[in-house]
Amino acid sequence: MAGSQGDAAKLQILKDALYDEARQHGSESRLFTQRDLLGLNVIPNENATLLLRVVQGLCDDKLFVGTNNHAGLAWRWRSKEDAKKYTSLSDETMMVYSMIDEAGADGIWNRTIKFKLNMHDSVVKSAIKTLETKGYIMGMKNVEHPNKKMYIKANLRPSDRATGGPWFTDGELDTAFITELEMIVFEFIKTQSAYLGSQGGHRSVGPARMPTKGVIRGGAAPVSNVGDSSSRGVKRAATEISNDDQTPAPAPAPAPVTAPHQSSSSSTAVNKARLKVFLPLPAGYKTYPTVSEIAQQIDKWGITNNTTLSEADIQQLVDILTFDGLIEPIKVNGRKGYRVTRPTKQETSSLAKRQKDREAGIGLDLTLMGVETGSNGLTETPCGRCPVFELCEEGGPVSPSNCVYFTEWLGLDEGRSKPPNGIVPA
Amino acid sequence: MNRTQLRHGLAILIQHNLLYYDVDSDTHMAYYEANTDNAYCLIRTGKILEMIDTSFGPPTKDVVQSLLLLGQTRISDLVAAYREKIASANQAVIDKESNVFDDAAATNGNSQPKKLNNLAVKSTAQLNSILCRLVEAELIDVVHDKSFQSPIDTYKAVEKEATDTFFPGGVKGGKAKIEFEEKIAEGLRKVRNESKLLKRKLEQNGPAAKRRKLFLNGGVANGAHDEEEDKDPALDPKQVIRINYEKCLVELRNRRLVQFASEMIGDMTSYVYGVLLKQLTKQLSRCRLDPAMDMGELEEGQGSGIVTTAEILDSLKTSVDLSLGLGKTSREALSSRAAEKLQELPPKKKLILEADVDGDARADESEDDGSDSDESGTDDDAKDYAPPAANGSKVKFADSTAKEQKMDRPTQLRQHLLLLAESSRHFVRHCGYNEWTVDFVPLMQVLREAELDSVIERTSGRQGLRLVRILRNKGKLDEKALPNVALMRKPEIQQKMLEMQTAGFVQVQEVPRDNKADVKKSFFLWFHDEEKSIGRLLDTSYKAMLRCMQVLEVVRQKERDVLMLTKRTDVKGREEEVMRKEYYERYRKFLDCERKLFAQTMRLDDMVALLRDY
Ligand code: SF4
Repeated sequence: MAGSQGDAAKLQILKDALYDEARQHGSESRLFTQRDLLGLNVIPNENATLLLRVVQGLCDDKLFVGTNNHAGLAWRWRSKEDAKKYTSLSDETMMVYSMIDEAGADGIWNRTIKFKLNMHDSVVKSAIKTLETKGYIMGMKNVEHPNKKMYIKANLRPSDRATGGPWFTDGELDTAFITELEMIVFEFIKTQSAYLGSQGGHRSVGPARMPTKGVIRGGAAPVSNVGDSSSRGVKRAATEISNDDQTPAPAPAPAPVTAPHQSSSSSTAVNKARLKVFLPLPAGYKTYPTVSEIAQQIDKWGITNNTTLSEADIQQLVDILTFDGLIEPIKVNGRKGYRVTRPTKQETSSLAKRQKDREAGIGLDLTLMGVETGSNGLTETPCGRCPVFELCEEGGPVSPSNCVYFTEWLGLDEGRSKPPNGIVPA
Repeated sequence: MNRTQLRHGLAILIQHNLLYYDVDSDTHMAYYEANTDNAYCLIRTGKILEMIDTSFGPPTKDVVQSLLLLGQTRISDLVAAYREKIASANQAVIDKESNVFDDAAATNGNSQPKKLNNLAVKSTAQLNSILCRLVEAELIDVVHDKSFQSPIDTYKAVEKEATDTFFPGGVKGGKAKIEFEEKIAEGLRKVRNESKLLKRKLEQNGPAAKRRKLFLNGGVANGAHDEEEDKDPALDPKQVIRINYEKCLVELRNRRLVQFASEMIGDMTSYVYGVLLKQLTKQLSRCRLDPAMDMGELEEGQGSGIVTTAEILDSLKTSVDLSLGLGKTSREALSSRAAEKLQELPPKKKLILEADVDGDARADESEDDGSDSDESGTDDDAKDYAPPAANGSKVKFADSTAKEQKMDRPTQLRQHLLLLAESSRHFVRHCGYNEWTVDFVPLMQVLREAELDSVIERTSGRQGLRLVRILRNKGKLDEKALPNVALMRKPEIQQKMLEMQTAGFVQVQEVPRDNKADVKKSFFLWFHDEEKSIGRLLDTSYKAMLRCMQVLEVVRQKERDVLMLTKRTDVKGREEEVMRKEYYERYRKFLDCERKLFAQTMRLDDMVALLRDY
């Protein structure tokens, strides 16, 4: 008896030693094969039988978890607290818990548990309930299967696959977050890929202000740009400048950085002192921002408080902006950067200012990103946006002769005082 | 309608080039056919006049306007008409009402106090010189006996001739067929060139180069060049001339491109672009080559020629400051190798934004090795850039006040040109050192695409545009894959896609998963057919134009009584004084509507021109 007592004590020592040694050699997810465990030099004489007894003991204590991997049996260790959780549970509950544990960050569907364990519905339910009250597991949502009830270990964060990545919050696409980030990325690219010239011309302007952390909160970031939306109104038809003999010779010394025509037409503009405009950079510019630079910058600003965005995530955003036609990729010597499209038409006041304006109800019709596309003949004409276009013909129920859209557009509608603005009621 | 009326009607229609006719040589019967192309061109009248006005000056506009009003005209008639007008204007105070060209004359006359009259065209010599200039620019051409044959008739005639003279025994075999086609093309070209007769004559005698130069410098032929005018050979008074719409289209296209460049890059660059285009298209007679006639040229690229930097430099206005419109940066921040990259061949196929950039990655890689050397500044081209800034940290912008850093003018010009070449829209191609060309065919496709995109954006919003461009880039895409790429919610996407499907921008294809073709299990692939969308857009534009005109007619009908009133000779011209207030108010409103509708029709024509003609 004494021998077996001593044996048990010896076994306990070996168990502790093996457990500690295994913890030293890898994370919770590392799988140890029999050879690995022997290699830890805990078991004397590489005694396989002894090892198996020790491992069995650890498994019984829930400190080791055995799995069958492609190379045969293998084990991984489990933390002591976790093991304690296991030992405190009833058999069924424990089985359910181990299923959820195995599923890891992807989570598991409750019907899968039932199916795999071949248990009765009520048993699974009560087990889950117990586990939930104990705080060992929690329910989660999976974007791929939004209607399935999924469970995950309480101390784990759902995997990207389950949550849909950084763009999802509680299984819903977080469009507000995406839009905010898009704006910041766009603003960054805009200010880094075009040159902000001012009509004063004296101030040497570096890359324009970058949005700071305060920006996204709409906080009081100092606004250095005086030029505001008035610059947007100054549009010069290229046809005018191209052949216009009256074009005044540009002023000599501090040359206005804008096209000569502007200097004449914009003299009435409110902020004539500093009329700013983004200018394209010369061909061959080497440092248009790349995706990794953008990612780094976003990281540095720390805007995305608890989500870290990988380069791939940023790439996705940048692609969206490209598809939206706001930016375009440009390759210089094999380095793929991005630059803003239509630089000279871009808004020059800072994003923060525009956001603040918007909160104050100014310029609600302006976009926060990029430029509105110019309208063309078709989209301006009522017919171009007419919902009954296909039905419209003379003699039919709707026809040009009784067309209400045209009546309104031409301002012939006496009843309404709204001036015709070329916008057809949808 | 009696015979005289009919004849008169036909004559007028013919005079305005609205009819084709063909006299059958056997039966001596004349067949008439409507010339729809020219009829359509009437809508462009305003645009053409505006274009002439800005690029040639008001006197030229005056002449073109007369030509447009008169239809085709014998030169002697035109001269006579002008002579009479000039004489009466010289004699007395101008009768304001009868002077159609009051506006043009007013702006011009003030600057010419020496002159007796303030007509736009002051002498017949000036008229002659203006005509010469227009002929040289191919904006007017000569009417000849084949001008009224419809293209199909012409083709048949040429075909017949070719068969009779070269292949009396019929065309047999592939080789003969090619030869036959060549002969036809040649014959067709000959017919076409007949209308350029005057131009060739002009080019033969006289210092054409000198005159042309004058004409390029804004062409302000308002009497200041009397000497030059005398040197112009008098045109044969018996020639019948008319406006050449084809060439006008080329000019209008140039303007459109400049506008596009200004939108995409900036005004100064687009000004440079305008000058480049003007040089380049001097010898270009039409926007689109005719496959039957210009086969050879079609195959060996566009044949649009090249322009050198020096040529552009010579034509730039001296008052224009080229340093404007470009961001300043130190030389170190630029890679001259990348900027100066030559592209000797036109792009193979229409390239999509990304495909383009990724596509020539290989070519770029090979250049990477070399780019190290240019950073060290040993590259030949490097000296073309601004001298290094005081301290060249990476993105340090040169201080604009420092005068000694000013680039010389050719360098500034080059920078604009290089920027145009670098653009993802491929405005120009840097086809040889200091040589530039434009690949019109792909470029116009890009422009059409941009127009389509802006329509999509206006009608379906930015997200709609995003979805379409994703499809354009990726081809067919499963419905389920879209939300991930577009970062949009599923229901939103579905709604947008349906909306755009109705509008004809996207199409869907159902692919069953298995033989059972269970709809629930099928894949739904969305795709975007650009050509189809553009075709549809064109169709919509036509219809919208037509409806604008119909609405105008309706409004006219409604205000019939007012309009009748204004036709009375005692009212005409003094509507405000004579008419009762409420009537005048209605008249004013009507004019407003009319103006708006006309403007809209013109804008729609911009679309049609781009989608169909350019
Ligand atoms: S109903 Fe009016 S707006 Fe619509 S297509 Fe007809 S004319 Fe145009």
